[in-house]
Amino acid sequence: MKPAVFEYLSPTSVQEAVQILAEPDDVGDTKVLAGGQSLVPLLSLRLAQPGRIVDINRVDALQEITEDAGVLSIGALVRQRTAEHSELVRTACPLMAAAIPHIGHPAIRNRGTVGGSIAHADPAAELPTVVVCLDAELVAEGSGGVRTIPASAFFNGFFTTALGPDEILTGVRVRSAAPGTGAAYEEVARRHGDFAMAGVAAVVRLEADTVAEARIALSGVDLVPVRASKAESVLVGQVLDDATLAAAADEATASLNPASDLHGSAAYRKHVAGVLIRRAVRSAARRARENR
Amino acid sequence: MNTREITVTVNGRTRTVTVDVRRTLADFLREDLGLTGTHLGCEHGVCGACTVVIDGATARSCLQLAVQSDGHEITTVEGLGGPNGELHPVQQALYDSHAFQCGFCTPGFVMTTYGMVAEKAAGRPTPCSRAEIREELSGNICRCSGYQAIVDGVERALAGTEQ
Amino acid sequence: MAGGSAISGLVGARIHRKEDRTILTGAGRYVDDVNERGMLHCHFLRSTVAHGRITGIDVEAARQLEGVVRVFTGADMSAITEDLSFAQPIPGLHSPSYPAIAHDVVRYVGEPVAMVVAESRYIAEDAAGLIEVEYDVLDVVASTTAGLAEGAPQLFPDVPGNVVHADEQLFGDIEAAFAQADHVVTDRIDQHRWAPVPMECRGGVATFDRATGQLTYEASTQTTHTLRFLLAGWIRHPIHQIRVIANNIGGAFGLKFSIYREDVALCAAAKLLGGPVKWVEDRTEHLVAAGHAREEQLTLEAAVKDDGTLLGLRVTMLLDAGAYPINPPATVYTGIVRTTLPGPYKLPAYQFSHKIVATNKASYISLRGPWAVETLVRERLMDKIAATCGISPVEVRTRNLVTLEDQPTKMITNVTLENVTAAETFARLAELVDLPAVRREQEAARAEGRLLGFGMGTFIEPAPGTPDFWAAVGFPFGAEPARIRIEIDGKVTAFTPQVPHGQSHETTLAQLIGDEMGVGFDDIRVVYGDTDATPFSMIGTGGSRAATMASGAVVYGSRELRRRILDIASHLLEANADDLEIVDGVVSVKGAPGASVPMSQIAMGCWLAPDQMPAGTNTDLEIVATYDGEGGGFSQASHACWIEIDQETGKIEIKRFLVVEDCGKMINPAVVEGQVIGGVAMGIGGMLLEHSAYDEDGQPQSATFLDYLMPSAPEIPEIEIEHLEFESDKVVGSRGVGEGGTVLAPAALLNAVDDALAQVGRGRVTATPLTPSRVLELLGVIEA
Repeated sequence: MKPAVFEYLSPTSVQEAVQILAEPDDVGDTKVLAGGQSLVPLLSLRLAQPGRIVDINRVDALQEITEDAGVLSIGALVRQRTAEHSELVRTACPLMAAAIPHIGHPAIRNRGTVGGSIAHADPAAELPTVVVCLDAELVAEGSGGVRTIPASAFFNGFFTTALGPDEILTGVRVRSAAPGTGAAYEEVARRHGDFAMAGVAAVVRLEADTVAEARIALSGVDLVPVRASKAESVLVGQVLDDATLAAAADEATASLNPASDLHGSAAYRKHVAGVLIRRAVRSAARRARENR
Repeated sequence: MNTREITVTVNGRTRTVTVDVRRTLADFLREDLGLTGTHLGCEHGVCGACTVVIDGATARSCLQLAVQSDGHEITTVEGLGGPNGELHPVQQALYDSHAFQCGFCTPGFVMTTYGMVAEKAAGRPTPCSRAEIREELSGNICRCSGYQAIVDGVERALAGTEQ
Repeated sequence: MAGGSAISGLVGARIHRKEDRTILTGAGRYVDDVNERGMLHCHFLRSTVAHGRITGIDVEAARQLEGVVRVFTGADMSAITEDLSFAQPIPGLHSPSYPAIAHDVVRYVGEPVAMVVAESRYIAEDAAGLIEVEYDVLDVVASTTAGLAEGAPQLFPDVPGNVVHADEQLFGDIEAAFAQADHVVTDRIDQHRWAPVPMECRGGVATFDRATGQLTYEASTQTTHTLRFLLAGWIRHPIHQIRVIANNIGGAFGLKFSIYREDVALCAAAKLLGGPVKWVEDRTEHLVAAGHAREEQLTLEAAVKDDGTLLGLRVTMLLDAGAYPINPPATVYTGIVRTTLPGPYKLPAYQFSHKIVATNKASYISLRGPWAVETLVRERLMDKIAATCGISPVEVRTRNLVTLEDQPTKMITNVTLENVTAAETFARLAELVDLPAVRREQEAARAEGRLLGFGMGTFIEPAPGTPDFWAAVGFPFGAEPARIRIEIDGKVTAFTPQVPHGQSHETTLAQLIGDEMGVGFDDIRVVYGDTDATPFSMIGTGGSRAATMASGAVVYGSRELRRRILDIASHLLEANADDLEIVDGVVSVKGAPGASVPMSQIAMGCWLAPDQMPAGTNTDLEIVATYDGEGGGFSQASHACWIEIDQETGKIEIKRFLVVEDCGKMINPAVVEGQVIGGVAMGIGGMLLEHSAYDEDGQPQSATFLDYLMPSAPEIPEIEIEHLEFESDKVVGSRGVGEGGTVLAPAALLNAVDDALAQVGRGRVTATPLTPSRVLELLGVIEA
């Protein structure tokens, strides 16, 4: 199980990386290597046989976590473990703080990057679901310059993003959590640390006992992370009780058509998505109350 | 052949070598440096048998290209013991607990435990209960032991570490 | 142990292992660690179709690739090897032979169709990617049902109807049993395919010395001598010119008992090329092609009295053998299932029929406790009988179990039961459990909307079994040899045919020798794994036989050597041999430590100046001792399992797991516990997580660890163990314990699940694995 032959480049700046990606590609596919936790297994299994690997770990940037004017910015090369231990992430983006421990295992998170996981776009992964839930902005840089892509437009298809062939993801921006907000990430996986059969990211902001804002996104139930906007509308303006939660869960799952595989049937994923919505929203609301 | 010259420090010894760019770090350690203590159990990042420490943090060496190690510090299981073969406290704790059987998963667990102990010593959140230890070990698969004696050993190792 | 001379108290103590320093420091030598000068690497191209005829194969581009030394097609390999044949003189057994590398028909995804030898594994894989194979795709037999169907594709011309073997055996008056029955209780199970999956995959390094004609094969195997003699025939090389070595082995669990076509191809290639040539399969090859087990369907019908007494039992069994036969023949598995199924229960009448069916899958190979389904179905049936008769699962067992008072007795399958304490382990388990408290807790949980389940089971394990057991199965119960030598310096080296791969024999055998001879633990070295050094045994390590058989061999050998030492010492010290003792390698008169002679002095005399030793004494300090097993025996245990089912997600949490086990005299309790816990963990993994799945086209669905799910630490509960150590009058009272956890745990777990399902009015489990998806289907929460 060894990788096939490829050309290897290791740019030291974003500009250099972009230049390389913009070059005409006569060696076949080009893949960007960040943490490698998703890409290297594909190389070893020869499920991916790119002609060229562009290793961006030497880019001496994209490793900052900062907050400015109510916006949390996380550089694409920030290791998941760094974000996991970051006090700033914990306070400004509790959803991400709740989600990251579900990613694999510590050794994976020591190398895996925030940007890498988002750009890999596995619909069963946590970070793509988190950014969709939060309407995050993905910052990309290519030969055409820097642009911002809203999360809602970022995930185009199965393991596919809106990034152009000459673009790399340089960072993600989210609005810092407002007071009275609570977040939760729940998933059902076969074992601890496995990819979710279904997962839910939920954020709730309460005003008194009423839901002022609700955000719900689902992983593992479609080709891309799913934003359950209709379910959110069911919750907004309501007091959270079992009936409301059930109604929101039903609304979110009614139109789902998840895959069936060795680990769970479509019916199972659909059902469990509903269960997790109720659990995640309830949990998020409880934390919202604690954060008032 | 696509090759690169890299300078890498392994178990405290710095070398400059030429490697094929597609060679994994695990294969580099095992075959080029003869450090066969790091084992290959799956080569797709699930079993943890290939766990090493890179710049102080645990990582799966099968998921790293050797060229990525240029300028970095790697510790393998062979780098833990004393100069006269004395066991590192982590190794001693696992020895005292009768943790292992066939030994194939063992270096991976040793390095994962070493990583946990290092995190505790650095004041970072560390598993306290056996259940938490099990979660922290979930990235290392053992087929022989059923994990219980390994958890005993990790408990011992953590108890012996000052925060 | 009875009649023992345990002086230094090594046996029975939690001695730290000799093996551990090596493995903890990464100093072991596993096959893939071997890196000889000039070593080449071998990689197999494997079939991507489940059933097809090779109509063309083009290896030219592969041959031309820089770094490639040789490419073998099936035809190339057949020119230098014999087809592998596992035929046995068993009536009705159809055992087709097959080439090391396929050249005509392929019958499972993963079957080797070419072999590349190159300077590195990387290049070998590149070359394999350049080989073009054309297949004429044939219809696939994806299950036993498909294989047995009218008009099914025939996998082999000499396996009519795809039936490898079929048989029915009758014991006692089964008609009368059913005629007298108050109830007939039926049950069924469809167990899925799963696999041993050791952490180290298969592999070996073969070296051929052209000057001497010696072939050396360093392999990851659990049976060096059998590997050696089978290889000899198939690579056409004299046995005496073959040496098989095993150093560190990263687990086997039965898988590495078989001899594989890859072993043959590798050694044949080495003969041609000189070698060393290394082959190590990767994890995908392992999960797809190494072999699987446990895919069996059983139906049961029990005739019982109203009070739950067993009158008779009818069983049918279907085993999905995959395409190709291998060692041992699948009839061994059906034979052990048939023979052991009555277990430690009184059963007056019994009918057992089986069919072994060939399908387009990788071979069915041994998996820890290969007969385990007999305990799974029997213990589940006992619970169903209890429910039918309105008695508790404790009562139904207590009523039917054979106790010590009943023994010696014979099982309905003609096997002697003697010193079997399954009933006693169960009685102790029942004491510890407090079933009424369990039921109260379950009721309280239901009131809160939670669902708890509780299950138990008991069993006996042929560890090592008895001569009449193995006669009933049709597999030879061999005696076990050991060679022991007292070295010139008085220290001891023992050579065992065991091939430990986690069983700690280097430690346990040294404990036994140390106590028998009065020599320090650190002064004893156990050598294994080299056919040049170790005496012959067909089995090596397997069948949980070592605790009895290997122990017996070293005990008897040690006793004889001790006798010789004391005989000589008695002359030197002018004392009676009975008045002498050996402590830490020094022979002295009991109570008079001044009158002593070190063993080293005696040993030096025996080796260097035997003529000067006392007349009439035997100065030969190296012997081979053989142990016949003293009739062998069984191990036994009872398990209890407490679970909670999350009724919304279908996830099963094992909240508590209790084992009461009796493997006779424990040589090293830490080793015993490691085997029990590891075994239970494997059983849990098998029932809840692991699945070597195939689709209807025979395509493997679990080719990586992302889909073949191994249990990790959070999935395994803390396992509590209580030991009963039955003391028999045998010299060797230790019984094996390697397989038992895996055999019984699934039964206790499934009984717990059925118990939970019954509480909410749902039907029983009829198929495994118990994925969360299936659990919700069983609960009626989602549609199947």
